[in-house]
Amino acid sequence: MLNNKNAKTLLVISAIVSWILLLSSALLGAATVRQTGTPSAILPYTNNFLIVAFIVSVFFYQRIQSENLKGIDFIGYLWNLFSKAGITAYLGIGLYLGYLLTADSAESDATVLLQVVYQVNFGLMVFFLAKAFYIWRQLLLYHKNKFLQIAWDWFEVLLFSTLLLTVLNFDYSSYIFLPLLALLSFYILFLCTNLKWVAYLTFNKKGRSLVLLGAILVSCYIYARFFYDLSDRPELQIDYFNVGFLLLAMLFVGLYSLFAFLVALFSLPTSSVFEQKSEDLLNFQRLSQSIQQGQSEAQVYETLFESTIKASDASAAWFETIKNSATQLAFEPFNISQEEIDSIKQLLVAHNIQSVDYINNNLDRNAGFHDLGIPWKSLIMLPIHSKKHQFGMLYLLKDIEQGFDRETINVLKTFTNQTVLTIENLRLIAESLQNERYKEELKIASQVQDSLIPKSFPSDSWFEISTHALAAKEVGGDFYDFLQLSESRIAIIIGDVSGKGISAAFHMAQMKGIFHGLMQQDMAPSEFMKQANSALSRCLEKTSFITSALYIIDYRMKGFMFARAGHCHTLYYNSMTEDTFYFQTDGLGLGIIRDKSYANHIREMYYDYNPGDVMVVYTDGIVEARNTANDEYGEDRLLYMLTQTYHLEAEDIKCAIINDLEDFTGTDILYDDQTLLVIKFKQTQP
Amino acid sequence: MKITNEIKDNTIVMTLDGELDASSSVLLDEELSDPEIMKYSKILVDCEKLNYISSAGLGVFISHLQRFEDAQIKLIFFNMQDKVRNVFEILGLDLLMTIVSNYEEAMTIADE
Repeated sequence: MLNNKNAKTLLVISAIVSWILLLSSALLGAATVRQTGTPSAILPYTNNFLIVAFIVSVFFYQRIQSENLKGIDFIGYLWNLFSKAGITAYLGIGLYLGYLLTADSAESDATVLLQVVYQVNFGLMVFFLAKAFYIWRQLLLYHKNKFLQIAWDWFEVLLFSTLLLTVLNFDYSSYIFLPLLALLSFYILFLCTNLKWVAYLTFNKKGRSLVLLGAILVSCYIYARFFYDLSDRPELQIDYFNVGFLLLAMLFVGLYSLFAFLVALFSLPTSSVFEQKSEDLLNFQRLSQSIQQGQSEAQVYETLFESTIKASDASAAWFETIKNSATQLAFEPFNISQEEIDSIKQLLVAHNIQSVDYINNNLDRNAGFHDLGIPWKSLIMLPIHSKKHQFGMLYLLKDIEQGFDRETINVLKTFTNQTVLTIENLRLIAESLQNERYKEELKIASQVQDSLIPKSFPSDSWFEISTHALAAKEVGGDFYDFLQLSESRIAIIIGDVSGKGISAAFHMAQMKGIFHGLMQQDMAPSEFMKQANSALSRCLEKTSFITSALYIIDYRMKGFMFARAGHCHTLYYNSMTEDTFYFQTDGLGLGIIRDKSYANHIREMYYDYNPGDVMVVYTDGIVEARNTANDEYGEDRLLYMLTQTYHLEAEDIKCAIINDLEDFTGTDILYDDQTLLVIKFKQTQP
Repeated sequence: MKITNEIKDNTIVMTLDGELDASSSVLLDEELSDPEIMKYSKILVDCEKLNYISSAGLGVFISHLQRFEDAQIKLIFFNMQDKVRNVFEILGLDLLMTIVSNYEEAMTIADE
């Protein structure tokens, strides 16, 4: 198999050789005629063979060459054809004219010179035809379908088969072949109707292509005329006008050029419509691709603004974005002043048409608009809105009546719809990114929260303590902590920060700091609450508060002191009286009153405990836990659970309560943090 | 959560219907932050249909408490369900806020 480069070299060589042989044969023939007066009988077959060899070489060379042509630079194709091949016709005619001038002075060499000129022109014409033939093929098959491809392939086969006529030295004008050639001409006519590429030319390009096509048509005419005129000159040895193939190829090239010329000419007036449509399409694409390109909303609006002005050919326009029902000019208005905008808007507000499409194609008839003295006669108002949000409002003005016809409005609406889609998608993406970040922050916050809660309590012989802490999905605000005040005294705090998330975790950390800071000074629980309230008053947001309870247990005294600041009541089992009850004490949450009067709202209590007593400390997540029927777990059920379990170890009491709670709620979904501390006092071991 | 306001002379009767949780407390905050509300001397909050109040909901009332007090606007809750009232009581708010059993009582206290 020959590769393209080798094939091309071979074809060039065979073309040159056959052409030189043809020339020498012609010159030889002329010399023979001059000497003997009769032409050689074998010559026609040799000559015909050489002609065919030359034609085939040149055409096949161009065929290979044309495979390099790609893309849709149609003007480039035409220019390529004209500058490389079309121009040869003008050179050829120049050559002939030059011959005519010299022929007058040098009579004797005239025949020889004519042979040479004729041969040269033949070579150039074949080159031109071959080039034009395959460039036209490229254009003709633009946006081809299967049928067209087959039709073309057959055309090529049929056309080349007409070379057989030449090889066999048949006269194509004989009555057998003439109808066949006529049929082939019709076939050519049919092929020449494939001119889709012309539609893709812009107005300017059509103008340029008309010039080029015109020049190419002239080339065709020159060649046709030249060979027609010289066809019956007796001194010429070979008459190329007899080669049917060339005639048909010329017919095809000429007709296709003519058709393209005419189509380009007559589509000139409508090309602006086509250009507009393809630009609209491109703009739609730009809008929908804004997301991939990571554009901002402002850029999307700008694309919309520019595209709609172009699509509707508006003479003035402005665009407003709407944020929290306040409108704002998004960017520089187009051809309209701020005063004019304000006056038009005032009128529109009076019409009360804020979120509907409003089209007025005859502003002059409206008294209000007429009085404004504005130069525009048509107005369209296009809200950019989805079902939920209104993003903006687009105003387009035109200086003619009936400026916005139905077709234009449809295009404009498609633009606004596409914009809404794009904006919504952009927001969705931003939102999901935000969520991602929020989740990440929550993760950190819950890690912080987790680290704030002590993992183990001191184990001692006089009491046992068991804890349960379960955080809701979002970070909650439950916390507890302890501090060993002295060998026999321990402070235990429990609390609940209002709110959730990062701010709750932050306040928890503050509360832990306050607890450890203040309790270093070993103070009574009520005093602690007062000071904590004062400290928190300075840093807590207005809507936040903290509930807390502080217990200081002294096992030497066998008693505990406690204060409650708005926290859940403490559940207690007294083993002496065998009584289970809640300590009903007053106490206001921290951060609710932020001045000294808080001191009036806190009470302190002292209680002597007995071995075997059980204290249950918890947060509202326990008693306010709800089941599917929306009932709360409640203080009563908690109290009942303790009456059933007080005799158990602290750990088992806790487990029993939590199991019961889980049975009650039935679901795994936690709405609030749940914290439970069970403290059981024991007989002191010596 | 549904919040409806009924205006009678210098009194606003605000009816809370549903659950006052973190998301609906934003609505309540907007309602109470409305400068219009400072024109009235009494705000009566009907809690009959208030099924639940979260700490966020309480926080909204707490944050406006001082402002109303300074402007001498009376904030009175009435028709409160027991479980909701319990939440107020545990936090100690029953001593700071006026919570009465019914509308008539609320009107009498408001007119004092």
